[in-house]
Amino acid sequence: MTNQTKSQFIAVASITSELSAVMVVAKEISLAAANAKAIAFRAGDKAKGFQPITDFINELAKETIELVTNINIYALVLYRLTVNEFQKTVAYNKFELASKMAGDAVYAKSMQEPVEHAKLSMQDCQRQFKRDVSQLLGQLEAVMHHARAARVIAANSRIEASQAGEYLQSLQAVAESVDKAAHTIHDNVQRCRIALSIYRNS
Amino acid sequence: MKMTKIYEGSHQWIMFGRDEGKPGNIIDTNQYVVRTANRCLLLDPGGAELFAPMMAAVLHHAPVDQITDLFASHQDPDVISSLGLWDQALTNAKLHAPAFWEGFLRHYSCESIEYVGIPDNGGTIKLESVELQLIPAHYLHSSANFHVYDPQAKILMTGDVGAAIEGPDTPVFVENFSAHVEKMRHWHQRIMPSNQAKRVWIERVRNLDVDILAPQHGRMFKGDDVKRFLDWFDALQVGIAV
Repeated sequence: MTNQTKSQFIAVASITSELSAVMVVAKEISLAAANAKAIAFRAGDKAKGFQPITDFINELAKETIELVTNINIYALVLYRLTVNEFQKTVAYNKFELASKMAGDAVYAKSMQEPVEHAKLSMQDCQRQFKRDVSQLLGQLEAVMHHARAARVIAANSRIEASQAGEYLQSLQAVAESVDKAAHTIHDNVQRCRIALSIYRNS
Repeated sequence: MKMTKIYEGSHQWIMFGRDEGKPGNIIDTNQYVVRTANRCLLLDPGGAELFAPMMAAVLHHAPVDQITDLFASHQDPDVISSLGLWDQALTNAKLHAPAFWEGFLRHYSCESIEYVGIPDNGGTIKLESVELQLIPAHYLHSSANFHVYDPQAKILMTGDVGAAIEGPDTPVFVENFSAHVEKMRHWHQRIMPSNQAKRVWIERVRNLDVDILAPQHGRMFKGDDVKRFLDWFDALQVGIAV
């Protein structure tokens, strides 16, 4: 296995790993939203501005979970494609070697067609991988967008929390947890993007 | 890859083995080819490491599009881990292998090649006018295992039965049976699990007219050495590691 193939396998496998962490965090945000909603309900008028924010947080968490679920399916497709490309590359190299070893064998030329076919299949896989990586990067960008939106919501939550009297601490804790989660999602997704960007279709 | 023609008649049998370029840490194997006018059958075509030299060697005898059939006596990697590569090279081929192992062998990838499962009681492979018999050899050593008998050429391909592990320069035929026995003893005692299965197989093979007994490793037996081997194997206690 070449270094290029190894790093391709690692890049694809790391996406699944990073995204499973994102999924956990997104679920935490969803929980934080439910918690915030309960606090805001108890706080009544004191947390009036906070109530619509909790809906935003919840919606954002749901969308992130949905996006990540889809990306995970896509990552699995990408993994299968990587395996396929590896097999095609091995076959091409072995066919070329067989052709070379056959030398002046009576039927050596009959190997030309399998060699050519294997080469085209391998190149097809490589092109498809680059195309799929570009699409996956687009989907990861959408998750990044959600993470940025979550940070804005966290900032707004802090402002609204400051007017919630005795509920200030509880609501600030919600804002903090949303902000922290948004950071984690951003960092994890950013690592996925870096790992994949070298394979992007130029 | 050394090539030895072992039968020439209406069709040919060619033995391939003693590959000089083979990595030292993988077991040496014998591959056999049955060649008719327009078709070619590879018996136990070998491991993935062996694919390129094997394909190159076959090209001395047949074009790629006439390699129409593969046979795997059982599921071991030295027998058939090259399947995924043959699968990509051959456009119109069948793999004859134990039906029992289908789900296992497909792990090597078998998409374009048609898997023809051999039932436990055996069957035949028809190669133009040549009909080869698939002789059950279960538990010798694999739990679903077949040997190939050609009644016309009087050759019995016996997989791991009759095998010996020797160096790359070993002659292709046994020359001194008594001296060869010690090279086979531990192998057979250790790899063959069942005395009962062994006895049933010997009884079956004694009813066949065999000139050449062709194992997947080591040397082939011809003439009187075939009977000598059967007698020796009959007396041997196997399954010793329990």
